[in-house]
Amino acid sequence: MGSLVLVVRLGLADVRRHRVQAVMLLLAVTVATATMALGLSLRGVSDALYEQTRAATAGPDVVALSGVTGPAQTSALAALADDPDVVAHQGPYRVVYADLATRDSLTSHVVVHGFAETPGSVDRPLVTSGRWLRPGGAVLERGFATALGVGVGDHVTIAGRSYPVVGIAVTAATSIYPWAAQIGPYGGPSDSTGLAWMTRADAQALASSRDLPVTMALDLKLRDPAATESFIDAHPVPLTLHSWQFTAEQDMVILRNSQPILVVGSWLLGFLAVTGVAALAAGRAVEQTRRAGLLKAVGATPGLIATVLLTEYLALALAGDALGLVIAHLTAPAIASPTASRIGDAAGPGGATVVTATVLAVAVALLSTLRPALRAMRTATVTALSATAHRPRHRPWLTALSALLPTPLLLGLRLTARRPGRAVLQACSTATTVIGIVALLIIGAQPERGYGLDGSSALPNLRDEHDRRVMLAVTALLVALAVVNTITFTWTTAMEARANMAVARTLGATPGQISMGLSTAQLLPSLPGALAGVPLGIGLFAMFALGKWTLPPSSWLFGAAFATLVATAALTALPARLAARQPVARALSAETA
Amino acid sequence: MNEPSPVVEVRGLVKDHGERQGRVRAVDAVDLEVPQGQTLAVMGPSGCGKSTLLHLLGGLERPTGGEVRLAGRRVDTLSERALARLRRRSVGFVFQAFHLVEELSAAENVELPALLAGRSRREARRSANLLLERVGLAGRARHLPSQLSGGQRQRVAIARALANEPLVVLADEPTGNLDTAATLEVLRIFEDLRSAGQTLVIVTHDERVSATADRLISMRDGMFVDDTRMVGSGIGSGTGSGWLGGLVGLEG
Repeated sequence: MGSLVLVVRLGLADVRRHRVQAVMLLLAVTVATATMALGLSLRGVSDALYEQTRAATAGPDVVALSGVTGPAQTSALAALADDPDVVAHQGPYRVVYADLATRDSLTSHVVVHGFAETPGSVDRPLVTSGRWLRPGGAVLERGFATALGVGVGDHVTIAGRSYPVVGIAVTAATSIYPWAAQIGPYGGPSDSTGLAWMTRADAQALASSRDLPVTMALDLKLRDPAATESFIDAHPVPLTLHSWQFTAEQDMVILRNSQPILVVGSWLLGFLAVTGVAALAAGRAVEQTRRAGLLKAVGATPGLIATVLLTEYLALALAGDALGLVIAHLTAPAIASPTASRIGDAAGPGGATVVTATVLAVAVALLSTLRPALRAMRTATVTALSATAHRPRHRPWLTALSALLPTPLLLGLRLTARRPGRAVLQACSTATTVIGIVALLIIGAQPERGYGLDGSSALPNLRDEHDRRVMLAVTALLVALAVVNTITFTWTTAMEARANMAVARTLGATPGQISMGLSTAQLLPSLPGALAGVPLGIGLFAMFALGKWTLPPSSWLFGAAFATLVATAALTALPARLAARQPVARALSAETA
Repeated sequence: MNEPSPVVEVRGLVKDHGERQGRVRAVDAVDLEVPQGQTLAVMGPSGCGKSTLLHLLGGLERPTGGEVRLAGRRVDTLSERALARLRRRSVGFVFQAFHLVEELSAAENVELPALLAGRSRREARRSANLLLERVGLAGRARHLPSQLSGGQRQRVAIARALANEPLVVLADEPTGNLDTAATLEVLRIFEDLRSAGQTLVIVTHDERVSATADRLISMRDGMFVDDTRMVGSGIGSGTGSGWLGGLVGLEG
């Protein structure tokens, strides 16, 4: 009991004393777990939103699409409606392929479903604003209307004729916007297409007025909604049959790129979290070792020392994990449903997602504290009580080489060599950031094909936009963590080397040279990191990219690497300047205390 | 009259630092017995092995040779875990540099060994308050070490050393970082402990401290060169606070 009180008390006291480090660990873990949880729960959220839309709209179990209209298709549709496995149906109804234009001159392909003014028992679109059909008016699918910026009361022109928009509705019978057509006219491929409903008479009039392509569709409710596969297998051509499971799966198409961006992004964010927190922990190693020494002196066992050190980090990491999962839960509907074609509330991340995110959080805590914890445990009590900064190895060749260099470079090179492990972490941190930036540049360089007629980008490509937004958010988080890391690395290096830098100043080095030396110490490992980040970013993108993609000009990529180095130099300037201006006497006496 | 049984017993104690050519013998074949209630002062020049001896007695370091017994129990062969348990129950340390946990209050620092020993929080707090009162810091219980003077910090460290009523208190240069007034405060506490029968081993450079001991051992090059039983030592045997004041230079 006493030990538990002690562990909690020491942990809380340490958090109070090192608030910045605690907040940094908390935020880093929150960001990494939220991103991972989002990436892993996209499918679940998408499925949940489809399920809720399906429940709210009496969504069909199977939709039969004729592709073409003819006697064979008509009789096949009639036979389907009478099938003993079918308990209810709606249709057959016309599907008219047309073009739509808004007052703002946005144009798009549209499929018009000819529906009854009073919806039947299957496929009852849920009106989210306005009203259901009336003669002469059109109801637009919500995802389509949102993309067009059209609301109730506006007019749209379909196949050259103006219709007032009397309502906005959602349905589970078709895929989300812009894949509402499901199949193109005459069974061919479909372009990006929105959905509108008209009365049967209006749809018929529309089709005949311009001789537009028309197909037929039939919505079916089965006795066993789960048995769609066997039902479809039992009814081969001439119809195309789409199960509700197929439609739900199609909803994921818009998220196919977002998922790897988020999951891979969470790995990178997790890595940056580990490097940043490990650097902070290393900077406190002497203090932690001393504290371990005094705890040992008053009777704490090595196991208790490790528990004290790890509990604090684990508790913070688990708090960050919980926060990340809550953020993922709150933001998942917006990320998983970029089109407004679905309704409902997303359930929280599933059990597997919670476990995976928690494993990530625990891994960040363990990886960043294991080394100081082991060192504190293993160091002899007397040595621990008088712990001083780790003495670097003597490297005569490096000393001789650096002696030939200008003072800032000499100091930078020697500072880098003092902590080769930290230099590697700094290089990896920079490479990770550049990987994110390179991926963002590649996504930005892809040719844009909008959802408007003939690929007009006046109606933007929601999927590409969504990918860009997600990638931008992940890259922004990567850059934010990298900024914190760079400042941490610089400050930790400065604090550890303050006695040596003070000695250098007594020998005539100016604060400016010390400051430049500290910045150089961060830039030296950042240079290979930035250069390695470019091919690594391209490789990682290639690994997860779907379909063909083009590489941006190499000047963009290496420009990004160069900009990262300039930003690193700028970021290190302030902490380096602050550290370099500390009074020499104080630094020397602190070391000998 | 028979001597009380030894609390600390050392036979042929050897401690080497470093390896091969760099090897230095810090403690060289030392024998020692410290009976219950004795205040032993160990003096000697810097680097003579005084602090190493103290660390060996408290199980902070392992000897190269010989044996160490506390209350008859051999401790130099114990595991790290067992040594930790021994320290928490049987040994109290007072260091020159205080070694308080900076982020814990005075009372919380004093509670540390009691909590480590498995006592309840309430019990540990009650005991800590009594000990702080004993060292004259009842009004400073909630202060952080950074809010205390050097002398006050050392008194907190002494209170912490006494938390589990140890067999022996080992003090390493306890007045080394203190001014005269603070040294006087610490000496008064040691005198109280001595009067209460607490066994004390004090390593010091300070003759004012050694003058209060029952016994004085001089060390040089890791060996004992002199072992003197002091007659009439301590405050009680002199002229009260005037005697102690004179000892620390407050009175002529």
